[in-house]
This record gives sequence, structure tokens and C-alpha cells, in this order.
Amino acid sequence: MTMHKLTSKIRRRAVLAGASLAIVLAAMPVLAQELSGELVILQWQGGTDAEMWQKLEADFTAKNPGVAVRELVVTGQGDMRGPMRTALLGGEKVDIIINTWPAFRAELVDAGILRPIDDLWASAGLDAVLDQSWKDLGSTAGVTYGVNYTYGDRSAIWYKKAHLEKAGVEPPKTWEEFLASIDKLKAAGFAAPIAMPAKYWAHGEWFETLLLRTGGVEAASKLAAHEIGWTDDIVKTTLKKYAELLKAGCCGTPEQMFAGDWDYSADQIFTADASNYLMIGMWMNARARNDYKLNEGVDYSIFQFPSLGLGHDDTSSVDAKEVAVTANGANPAAADAFAVYMVSKDAADILASYGYASPSKNAYPSLLGPVQQIATAAVAQSKVQFVLGDLLPGDLVDEYRVQLQKFLQDPSDATIDAVTAAIEAKAMELY
Amino acid sequence: MQDSVAPQTAGSRPGVPSRLRGEQSNLLAAKRRVRDWPAAWLLITPVLILFGIAVVFPLIDTIRLSFFDIKGLAKPKFIGVGNYVKLFTDPAFRNTLLTTLTFTISTTIISVGLGWMLAMVSAFAPRQTLPFRVMIFAAFGISEAVAGYMWIGILRPDAGGLLNAVIGLFQPGFAQPWLGDPRTALWVLIIAASWGGVGLPLMLCFASVQSIPKTLFEAAYIDGANHWQVMRNIMMPLSLPGVRVAVFINLLGALRAFDIIYILTGGGPVRSTETVGYFMYRESMTQFKLGYGAAATVVLLVAVLVVSIPAIIQRTAGAR
Repeated sequence: MTMHKLTSKIRRRAVLAGASLAIVLAAMPVLAQELSGELVILQWQGGTDAEMWQKLEADFTAKNPGVAVRELVVTGQGDMRGPMRTALLGGEKVDIIINTWPAFRAELVDAGILRPIDDLWASAGLDAVLDQSWKDLGSTAGVTYGVNYTYGDRSAIWYKKAHLEKAGVEPPKTWEEFLASIDKLKAAGFAAPIAMPAKYWAHGEWFETLLLRTGGVEAASKLAAHEIGWTDDIVKTTLKKYAELLKAGCCGTPEQMFAGDWDYSADQIFTADASNYLMIGMWMNARARNDYKLNEGVDYSIFQFPSLGLGHDDTSSVDAKEVAVTANGANPAAADAFAVYMVSKDAADILASYGYASPSKNAYPSLLGPVQQIATAAVAQSKVQFVLGDLLPGDLVDEYRVQLQKFLQDPSDATIDAVTAAIEAKAMELY
Repeated sequence: MQDSVAPQTAGSRPGVPSRLRGEQSNLLAAKRRVRDWPAAWLLITPVLILFGIAVVFPLIDTIRLSFFDIKGLAKPKFIGVGNYVKLFTDPAFRNTLLTTLTFTISTTIISVGLGWMLAMVSAFAPRQTLPFRVMIFAAFGISEAVAGYMWIGILRPDAGGLLNAVIGLFQPGFAQPWLGDPRTALWVLIIAASWGGVGLPLMLCFASVQSIPKTLFEAAYIDGANHWQVMRNIMMPLSLPGVRVAVFINLLGALRAFDIIYILTGGGPVRSTETVGYFMYRESMTQFKLGYGAAATVVLLVAVLVVSIPAIIQRTAGAR
């Protein structure tokens, strides 16, 4: 053995030992502490999601027996940011906030409620668990606050297989095929093939993916930041595409659309067999499996939004949920450990068992059901844009949804001009 | 004043002029009142403290908030009457004023009108109609939230809704989206809200009718009046005090209505059922513009005061 080889071997061993020590030391804050005390989670989800969260919390406490998890449950209807703000402004101290709105994260950051987690990210080695894009998604002004633990494809269209078989329809790939399928489904006896839940907000789903497919993620992103106006041609073209759908008789009367929230609309497809298509997000999967007791991929499935041929068919709308730790929580150590736990393999397994995809590299996609696998593959192949409604200021999103209701009442060019002008006027007040 | 005819009371002293006795008595009463003050304050203080915490402080704080621009969790910014100026130029708010007026007047007319009419009819056979009065009054005891969910079942937009199913007996397949149609949503909401509001006017008006001296009815029947004449000329005018109280209570309740609107329509479709109460909630709780929402609250408070102060003055004018 030459001196050079020996030196090199010693150097390698020293580097390895140093690296091991560094990893151990880095992981110390999270792993070495004996966690204890109460961990308070601000919980706003209900139904199957709440049940899933209880499983996650039970698994976490099983691994950390010194920690007692308490959920501070807030309830409401529609946008849950209101009840969450009420709780926080009312002086409630929580350790973990579950968040799905980037705009709300920014608001929490401005109010000094969230604690940056860049140090935690480094010490827990989260770069090895989540891609940079997920880190970016959980960041505000370049600082990381959220650990994304699940995401969903919002450009997927849900359907019941028996309906399409009855009408002799294959899942459509193009816009023309999609419009043609509406005619076939109507001929097969379905009066309103699309269940359009326009009572509160879900009629925006169709607009948002149509916008992506019309103008691409750049245009949608610029519109969210009001770098282009709502009277821009891209928005008008999007609404004209939406009008084609309505004029094809997709959704029944405006009154029928306004009468349904998303629960009712889901029932119309999966239990009443009255409608065929629904665009709502991946939480439909948990509902279909657990509430309707349907067999994923056998009884129902999804197809990605049909291509428009306008040059942006490789785009999809996504949502995501993150856990964020607070600056004023009583148990920061347990909060950090919980945030890291949420992207562990065990957490991903529990999410998968409820039909939810995890962005974690610890997750086994094979554990996902066939529908969720279609969605994850579609998202992986797409340029993605976060749900527009969750990026807009609250005031504007309200106006946008009301104006879209007016558009549903009369999808004419004149209405398109009027509603885009009204949204733009509101946007001018706010930006 | 003739002292000699003044009534002698058990405590009066013979030989002392009554004027002096009166002054002494007033003095004694005043002394007694002064002596009672500590006890009076001791008894009233807890109520005043609770009233201050539960009513006065929130009221003052709401008025204070209405002068601030508060968006989300951001720090408040003083803007003077800016929220009020914005409020009265906001077409959505102006629309809520009209909706609130329609909702308030309609629910009051329906609830009190029906309650009054049922009270009249019940008064002719009080025992036989007791179960019906109890059932109707029970609806008043049901929370608006629970009633809202019941009405959702009745008003489902498909043929499975109870109302559509009943109409469907005559017109198969009938499916009217009652709550989804801006032309019908408000009226259906008014009927749903009125349903729970009939019980109280019924009881108040019935009590008023019961307090009418029996001799009046006997005299009317002896003179040959029929039931309709008795109702029109005796029962209706003499039960008006009960009607006034019922109108007052219903107006206040309707002005502040929120629960049933929240559950049935969420203020939609296209804001067609948004009242000031719901607008206040939307701005304060959904948009979290607490200052703007507080300004709407103050406007609602003024409306409630405009309705209630004359009624309170009228009801308590004769009290000592």
C-alpha cells in the first residue's frame, strides 16, 4: 500500500465518519429528543378526512408515547379560512396548522403566526424526501413554512363506468370527443351529463382547467397575480370554451346548477345515477370508496381533462395540503417531529389507504388505488398550476365565483364582457 | 286638599295635620331608600357587570372596529368613516338592504298573520285545538339550524324532494330547483323562516283573545251576532296588543335572520337571498374584513333600534 493510497483511504474513512457524524448530529434535534407534552392541531376537515387524521395522529403518538395530540376543531361551510382566522384571532394557541391555501399561508406569515422551517428541512433531510418543487410550493417569499403531505389532481373528470358503457362512450381525449359524449349521454337518458355544483364555488373548477388549457400555466399565474387583466382575451376565450359546454346542454338549467353543492352533485353521479361527469378534486376518491362503498377503478374512474388543441394540453390544475408549524405553539419540538412524520412512509401508507397521494419519496405509488395512480401519473406528466381560486385574494375570489354564476345564467358574448369587466373592476380595487 | 276627608291609614297619628304627616312619610321613605342603596347595588352589580361584558363591551368594540380597515390577520388601520362610505356605495350591500326589507316584512306578515288567524279560530274551541297549538308552538322551539336541514330535505331540487314529490303526484317527474332559482329562492326561504315563526304570534294572540271579558261575547251573541261578526268586531280589535308584541318580536328576529339563510342558500344564487345579517357574516367571517363587517353590523343595529325603540316606548309608556 503506497502512502498516497493510505492517505486516500484515511481521507475517505474520515470523510465517511464525518458525514455519518454530521447526519447523526443533524438528526439529533428531531430524533434524539424524548418528545412529550400536548401537541395541538388546528383541524378543519370533517368526515373521512377527519377519520384519516385521527389515524395519522394515533400512529404518531404510538411512535411518540409522551405526546398527547389534541385537535382544535373548527367547523364551517365552504371556505374554512374564516373559522381558522376566528380561532387564531381569538387567542387559540396551536402547534400545527393544516393549510391548503398559499394566499392564507402568506397571511399567516405576515401576522407572525408561522415559524420558518428551513433549518428543520435541512436537519431532517427533507430534501431527500420531497422534490424541490414541493419545497417551493410550501414557501412564501423564499422562506419555507409548509411540508406538503398530499396533493390532488384538479383537472381530473370523475365518471361511473356503467354510465359511459350504457351510452357507448369511451373516456374522451379531445374537446370534440367530450362534446360528442355529452350528446351520446343525453341520448342514453341522462338529462344533465355534467353535475355542476354551482351553489358555492365548484363551478370555478371547469373555468380554471379551461384557462390552463387555453393560456397555459404562465397566463394562469399572471392572472392570479393580476399581471394580466380579467378582461384579457385569454380569459374571454376560456369563457367562450366554457360556453360551448353549456350550449351543448351539459349541465341542465342554471337553476339546477345553483341548487347543488358538491356533495349533492357527487350523489347525482354515484348514487342517483342521474349525471355522469364531475370535476371536483381527488377527495372524491375517499368519498367514493368510503362513503359510497364503490370499488376504485372498477365502478368508477377518472380521465384527464380533454385536450383543447390550443397548445397547452400538457397542463393540469393541482391542489396540495401542507402542515405548517406555528411560532407561538407550546410544543415546537413535537410540532417539528409531526411535520417530518407527515412525509414518512407510515404516514404515506395511511394516506394511500384513504385514497390520497403523498408527494413523499417514502411513499410507494403501488399502494395507491388504480384511480389515484392515473391521477399521479397525469400530474407527473403535466406542467402544474395551483388552483386559481386558492391563489386569489378572498374578496376577489368571491366576486369571481358570483360573476361565474351570472355567466352560467347566460353564457353569451355580452355576458362574458360584463362578467370579466366586473371581476376586473374588483381586482383593480384589491391589487 | 281637605285633611278631614283624607283616608286614615293604620300608621297615621291623630292630631298631626295630614300635610305634615305626608312630608314625614316622604322623608321616611327617602331615608329608607338611602338605607336600601347598598343592598340594591349589591344585587344589581353582578347583572351590570355581566351586561357590561356581554353587551356593552362587544357593542362598543364593534363600533370601534367599524372605523378600521382590517383584512385577514393583518394589523388594523384607522380609516374613519371609510367603511360606511364604502358600504353605501357597494351594490352588493344595497341589494342586501332590499332583500332584508322584503324578507323581514314578508316573514312578519306571514308569521303574524297566520298566527293571529289561527288564534282566532282556536279561540272558538280552545280545548279541541290544544294539540294543534302545541304542535305549532313546538316548531318555534326548533332551532333554525335544525329546521334548515329539514327544509333542505323538503326542497331538494330533484324529484326526491318532498315538495317536488307531492307536486309529482299530479305532474309526474316534476323537479323544480326551488333554492337554485333566483326567482323562487327568496320566497321559499321566507316560507321556511315563517314556518318556525307562527307559534309565538299564535300564543300571544290567543292569550290576548282569552283575556277579553266573557260578558262581551255573551252580549254580542244575545244581540244576534254570528261567529264572523264576533271575530271581526270583538276578537280582532281587542287582541291587537298581542299582535303588536308579535309583530315587534318577529320584525327583530327577521332583521337578524342568519341561520336558515346560511343553511338553505348561503346567500345565493347570485346573492339573491343575501340579507344584511348574511352580508355581515360573509364580510366578517368568510372574507375576514372585520372592520367592514362591523360597519354592516352597526347599520343592522341601527335598523333594529329604529324598529324597537318606538315599540318599547309604546309598550312601556304607562309603566311607573
